Amino acid sequence: MSYLNTLRLHFAGRFQANISTVNNDPVHFYNDAFRPSWQELQGPDFDPPNGWFSPGGDAAWRLLGCKVTAAWLPAGEVALSEVPASDLVLQCIVADSDRQAPAKLVDLDPEQQLVSEIWGLQVRIADADGNTLLLSDFEHAAFMDIWDRAQGQTQAGDADAGAMYQSVLRNLQWGDVSGSPFLTKLREAATDGLLSIKFNVDNINMDNTSPDFLTGRIAGTIGPAAVSEPQHMVLGRHFLAATYGGGGFFVPAGGINNCVAVVDPDASCIFLDLGNALPTIGTTGAPVDLGELTLGVFNVTDGTPFAGGAVTALGTISGYASNEWYTKTAGVVALPLTSEQLQSIAAAPLVLRSANAAFIDEWPTGVFVTADTFVYRMSPGDSVNVNFYLTQWGQPVSGATVFFTADPSQLQAQAGSPLPQFTAPAVAVPEDAIQFNGSATTDANGIAVLTVTATDPGTPRNFNDGKDYGIDGQVYGIRPSVNPQVYGGGPVDPWNFVSILLWSGFTAADPVTWNDIAPTMTQYANLYPVMNRFLNLGDYDSVVAHTRLLTLAFSLDIANPNSMPVTRDLSPAKRQAILSFLANPQRGEVAKVRAMAAPEVPAEAVTPPPLARKGGKAAAAARRLVNLSARKGSQS
Amino acid sequence: MIRLQPSVLEGVLQPKSAQDLWPALQQAIELEHSTIPPYLYALYSLNTSANAEIAAILQSVVVEEMLHMTLSSNVLNALGGSPSIDRPDFIPKYPGPLPGGVQSDLTVHLAPFSLNQLDTFLQIEEPEDPIEFKSLQAMEALPEITIGQFYTAILLAIEILGDGAFVKPPRNQVGPDLMPESIVVYDVATAKAAITTIIEQGEGTSTSPLEVVGAGFAHYYRYMQIKKGNRLVKNPDPHLPPDQQYSYTGAPVPFSAAGVYCAPTDPSSAKYPAGSAQAFANDNFNYTYTSLLAALHAMFNGANTQDQFNRAIGLMMSLKSQAIAMMSGVPNPALLIGPSFEYLPVNP
Repeated sequence: MSYLNTLRLHFAGRFQANISTVNNDPVHFYNDAFRPSWQELQGPDFDPPNGWFSPGGDAAWRLLGCKVTAAWLPAGEVALSEVPASDLVLQCIVADSDRQAPAKLVDLDPEQQLVSEIWGLQVRIADADGNTLLLSDFEHAAFMDIWDRAQGQTQAGDADAGAMYQSVLRNLQWGDVSGSPFLTKLREAATDGLLSIKFNVDNINMDNTSPDFLTGRIAGTIGPAAVSEPQHMVLGRHFLAATYGGGGFFVPAGGINNCVAVVDPDASCIFLDLGNALPTIGTTGAPVDLGELTLGVFNVTDGTPFAGGAVTALGTISGYASNEWYTKTAGVVALPLTSEQLQSIAAAPLVLRSANAAFIDEWPTGVFVTADTFVYRMSPGDSVNVNFYLTQWGQPVSGATVFFTADPSQLQAQAGSPLPQFTAPAVAVPEDAIQFNGSATTDANGIAVLTVTATDPGTPRNFNDGKDYGIDGQVYGIRPSVNPQVYGGGPVDPWNFVSILLWSGFTAADPVTWNDIAPTMTQYANLYPVMNRFLNLGDYDSVVAHTRLLTLAFSLDIANPNSMPVTRDLSPAKRQAILSFLANPQRGEVAKVRAMAAPEVPAEAVTPPPLARKGGKAAAAARRLVNLSARKGSQS
Repeated sequence: MIRLQPSVLEGVLQPKSAQDLWPALQQAIELEHSTIPPYLYALYSLNTSANAEIAAILQSVVVEEMLHMTLSSNVLNALGGSPSIDRPDFIPKYPGPLPGGVQSDLTVHLAPFSLNQLDTFLQIEEPEDPIEFKSLQAMEALPEITIGQFYTAILLAIEILGDGAFVKPPRNQVGPDLMPESIVVYDVATAKAAITTIIEQGEGTSTSPLEVVGAGFAHYYRYMQIKKGNRLVKNPDPHLPPDQQYSYTGAPVPFSAAGVYCAPTDPSSAKYPAGSAQAFANDNFNYTYTSLLAALHAMFNGANTQDQFNRAIGLMMSLKSQAIAMMSGVPNPALLIGPSFEYLPVNP
């Protein structure tokens, strides 16, 4: 069960991602080179770059003006029953918390900025006056499948990007929903105390003088969820696009981005989620008119489906090229299927094609494997089990082998920074700081378990040849694959991998003194100008004057939205050391003595890379190793 | 000095049951809250690197107003009442009189810090000297009530009702485990301690308004330090008459007019054009502010847990961050925005 269900509602509106950008540049983590101008707003066209386009952001992530746009109820055999206009749910809003601080958007690391997670979000369904009918906690989740979505206006910047979030809502607290047959049904269906939520985000505004600055469009779907199913992916039919190359994030070869469908034999239909799959027109946001879209199935000849061969049409999707359609459906299409059609697609690849030759399809073998949760924070000594789901034709495959390979290609090394004079902190080294099984066999539920064990990586991302405090720990990537001898091949989603931030080992002195924690605190003071509104985190006296508030902030659970933007970047060991210091502040005896002279801070970058001007994600994406090596290759 | 309408004492003058005091205690909560938006507005308009001393003084007063709101709520809860905070008319209109205030008396604005605004604050906090402790009967005839008289009347009424009027065990109290200076109220003596704290921190003691109460001088004298430009200090000679035992001759309290962000005076959502950056930031602020009122309402109505307290603190920190950003031109340095402190349960 997931949001792709006969029972579902769609919502649409805006979101705000009030991120701070000083920490977008890995070089800004260099305390000894930090200059005050790096906390200031960038100049025109990124000249000078300073602290980029939003140094004063507070990391708040908000739902703004989101309204329920449609809701659907199961209706016997065909699942195409829109709720009557009298249902209260159609007057409802989808809002964030009205009882606690706004949620926070958090990057994993300056060298892995492409899995930003929403933490501490409460999702409410409320009447038009704000009276809560359902209160729930959004299980923190990272975005997936970012791509170059908008066409025709600009190129490859954040404003043109689209991405999606999928998660579950838990701790459901229902109000009086008797006025809504739909919400009553939804409550009845949430027998595991969970709902499934998925939303698409795009159209973010990068102009700090605009009223829409750092807001974007959101359109999503909420439906039932089962505790036995994955939380951040759909067990379904996965359409995968080859890369066309170029662009800032991902340009699908067939013009349609990765997407998923769920076949519902009981309801005799297929739900196809095109919410993050259809390209849009940059100026209007409306889906591009690709001509009539047809969902089809490759014909099976000689017992094997022949991808690229003849296709039998299953149904057409029309009317999708308007904002009204997108708002009302969040991109979800339900097509009825006859029993013959259901039979024909059971073991044959689906394909989506348009009159204008846009296309995307399943692998010829219908196989897909991915991790449910794909972002992890680890300390030395930690071990984590990551569940990967292997499906074929949307069904779990048991007894199959999933291979795991270290793959840092999508991580963002520093080359391309406005200040390239500094040594780039390499990612994914030392390699042996994380150990994991090279393969695993799926169980009856199609789950293969990757077990990652972490040891201390040391301080591989210190600056100045390792002598000066730098970026804590290291980031790693691990990618799944299947046996090509068994399952053949097909396009690989570049974003389909597990990201791990492994913190450096840290043993605090006893008692902890300011000298022990000063590098960490100074770095936070540098990277988060928003903290200057409360205190100077880099100053002993200021910190000591605020011990009560800081003790509270540093004690909160990582999922708590009150938690300062800094604390999710902090290893448990360092967090504990800071709490220990706050309980008994001591300055310590000697000030830090530099190992050697700090390098000259060069003049501000003369030629910032073009992509850095187009947003934080675009700048990060441009620094991906896969891009850097491609560039090197093209130059040689 | 603030003058209140005699109607604020309805029920108090001839108390028959605890219930008779509920409206006045609700009034007290609203009155204590009503000074917080203008004080915060002034505080957040200060560039603290240029006006650190003044900011510290404002901050110290605001924190005590929050304590007073808590103490009033504790007394109301102890007498079986329920604070009502999460509603639109809890928030006074700015510009306007303080809740229960005599209409012709004082108009309070939301304005960046200035010496004019400081005069308003001084007027709000100006104590009676000495506070006239009239009997309840004597107060009946008064055309106007001072804040000192208002709280004194509540206290006298509580004494008449006696310990039997209090709910046992203590009910919905936000105590010192959450707020260090708070007082759990469960009988006449603890109610008296709570109300005395409010009076003395606001106005000073009955013997000397200058006497140090809790963390510092009474509010009026703290603010006078800004007007006089120097900290208030105790004179070394103990034999001086009471009115000369303190003088404004301590460390400088400098005011830098250049260190004030020129945010608008008396902002309102109605004044900000729909779809503007001002409206956007202000709506976010007001939604957070409304969330805070809801969180406080819950905390003062039984959710008196550390978690709930933390949620309220988190919302206050969020409000502070948003207000400072708005008033100091983040994200657009060309646009300074004033938070309007209005009730907004739906973020549009």
